[in-house]
Amino acid sequence: MTSETLSRRHFIQGSGALAGSSLFRLSVPAALAAAQAACSARDEGATFTTLTAAEAVELEAISARILPTTSTPGARDAGVIYFMDNVLGEKFAFMLPGVRDMLVEFQQGIADRFDGTLKFSDLSEADQDTWIGANDTTQFFSVVKTLTLWGFFAMSSYGGNKDNMAWDLIDFDGHGAAQPPFGYYDAQYMEEQNNGN
Amino acid sequence: MAIDNKVTYPLDEAVDFVVIGSGSAGGIIAKELSTNGFSVVVLEQGPFREAKDFTHDELDVWVDDAIGGGRAASNIQTFRDDESKVAKVKPGRNPARYYEGVGGASVHFSANFWRFREIDFKERSAVGSFEGTNLADWPITYEELEPYYTKVDWDIGVSGAPGPFDSPRSKPFPMPPLPIKSSGVLLKKGAEAIGLTPQAAPLAILSQPHNGRPACINCGYCLGYGCEIGAKSSTLAAMIPQAIASGNCEIRAGCAVYNLETGADGKISEVQYLDPDGNQRSQKARAAVLSANGAETPRLLLLSESSRHPDGLANSSGFVGKNLMMNAHANVQAVFEHQLNDYKGVQVTQIVHDHFYESDPTRGYYGGGGFTARPLMAATPIWYSLVGQRADGPQWGAEFKDRIAHNFTRQMAVVASGTNLPLDRNNITIDPTHKDKYGRPSLRMTYRDHEDDIANVAYMQGFAEQMMEAAGAVEQWSPPAKAGTGGGHLLGTCRMGDDPETSVVDRYHRSHDVSNLFICDGSSLVTSGRGQPTMTIMALAFRAAEHIAAAANNNEI
Repeated sequence: MTSETLSRRHFIQGSGALAGSSLFRLSVPAALAAAQAACSARDEGATFTTLTAAEAVELEAISARILPTTSTPGARDAGVIYFMDNVLGEKFAFMLPGVRDMLVEFQQGIADRFDGTLKFSDLSEADQDTWIGANDTTQFFSVVKTLTLWGFFAMSSYGGNKDNMAWDLIDFDGHGAAQPPFGYYDAQYMEEQNNGN
Repeated sequence: MAIDNKVTYPLDEAVDFVVIGSGSAGGIIAKELSTNGFSVVVLEQGPFREAKDFTHDELDVWVDDAIGGGRAASNIQTFRDDESKVAKVKPGRNPARYYEGVGGASVHFSANFWRFREIDFKERSAVGSFEGTNLADWPITYEELEPYYTKVDWDIGVSGAPGPFDSPRSKPFPMPPLPIKSSGVLLKKGAEAIGLTPQAAPLAILSQPHNGRPACINCGYCLGYGCEIGAKSSTLAAMIPQAIASGNCEIRAGCAVYNLETGADGKISEVQYLDPDGNQRSQKARAAVLSANGAETPRLLLLSESSRHPDGLANSSGFVGKNLMMNAHANVQAVFEHQLNDYKGVQVTQIVHDHFYESDPTRGYYGGGGFTARPLMAATPIWYSLVGQRADGPQWGAEFKDRIAHNFTRQMAVVASGTNLPLDRNNITIDPTHKDKYGRPSLRMTYRDHEDDIANVAYMQGFAEQMMEAAGAVEQWSPPAKAGTGGGHLLGTCRMGDDPETSVVDRYHRSHDVSNLFICDGSSLVTSGRGQPTMTIMALAFRAAEHIAAAANNNEI
């Protein structure tokens, strides 16, 4: 097994270990979120083929602040990281070198700002948001945001959007035939027309 | 995806016509010529996809541009907004957007099918000249084109109902409009509240079974997608099957033309292309019809330069590639209390023209346009989440997610689409550095809307805001009207006209310079219309085909 070819189970375990090592920085809700991260794998035992475990931890952590888990599902729940692993290895492989380089760049400066913490994923959620806020106009953030939204809303066959949860979140069931009325206002209009108003 | 051609022609025997491009114009011309007994070879650079090959895969279709020519990462075009600059490769989608495949852009368009009006053909006479522009009258009138508009209605398949401002029509629509959606209801409500007169949108999508094709099932995947049941009236659905069935038309997909070869007599002798395996081929022909779209047509003419035609083929006027118009657009986004679910059904069901259509000198600029109500980005989730959010709102985090979740089904757009002034500075040329995926020098677009184009849609945007407020929007915002950096309406680059010094083709689409070359597609348009050009491109194609056939029968090609 190479560092690039860690099983998803190892990744999950790795996520837990990383979260544990920095637990002193985590608030309780953040700790719960970190634990939930360990449950984010779509297919336990499957293999990461493109990202290293370390890269996956960081990218997933960033995506989880873009679309956080709240009372509704977020990027972590939908398995967005598995989408990234998939498309950065195939469909959008041309993006991978840039993502890798910019991820390293993104991490630089975290230690100075946050008392020696080296990785974004080791920050508390509040600090993660602070760091993103300081970097949300960078090309890297734009790329990760784009990948996150692609992964969240693309067909689940690409690795994210587990069980179509992203589509359920926005109430989208648009893949088949439909009959009018489609929405509130055309239904109301139709009723008025039928009533001769 | 194999084509069931009924005939194959040898390369070294001249067919009557090689048609380059199989889209809105090429598909019609190929069908008309082949069913009238002429031997036709269609060279289409994209693949042949049938209705069953189309998917709702947004990542593939919208993000990766899989059925377009491909993203810039895989198929380079370049862009600049001024001729003094070095054109660059744009990240993401290319500036000249089209569907690459049999049927052309008629496969993936939204299918808004507005006829031009009388005024569109004689606007230069009506409003005067504008310094620094090439605004001109058309060599033909609405009355001359009307029978062919009607032919499009019936042969291609257009749904609709007459509107109060429409130009005269010789025959009713063949079928009623598609069902009104919530966005249409809200536009109607808002327009009527401020004294305007909305009307049903004419669409090239079947509301009823027609010509052996089924009615729309309201799946919602129109804009940018191929129709998987053939209800959208593309030439793929409405013309290509008849062309093939004629037994006179061979369609060669995956064949990218790189040169139109002329003989000593100055006429086209053969058309050179790369076959799907990348081999150089050459088809002899009595005549060629170039219908590759308003960006690819001029590129191919410029690529076909030779010692006899040093500035490119058919370019003695210097107008090949110039006067590019893409229709200026602006939009207003509006959110309503209840769910519209506008991702279902066709894009547009109501439009507003009123006094906006015609240019009014008292406004202080040239320009006219019309409004459509539609989901726009709220048609599909990825596009919506990336582009459908207000710029001054949250861009990430819980509130960002919550807004997407709440608004996706409650948001709509009113789009103001309008005119462009034809300018020398807006053009298609050959990039000196880059090459496309076929190895041909890349297409270079130079484009910056005239200030009047922007002023016009900005003016209209104000009325769109009023309509949405009157309709009861709980939130609305207006992205600033600004110059376009690309588009799918590729118009004006080989304009028709009577004067060989200021036009590329004559009123019958014959090149002024090369007597057996006909050019018909968006490039033929003299003016841009009000934002929905394909109906006119198709009408021109039916008309051109009739004249080309007559010329061939008279041995005049």
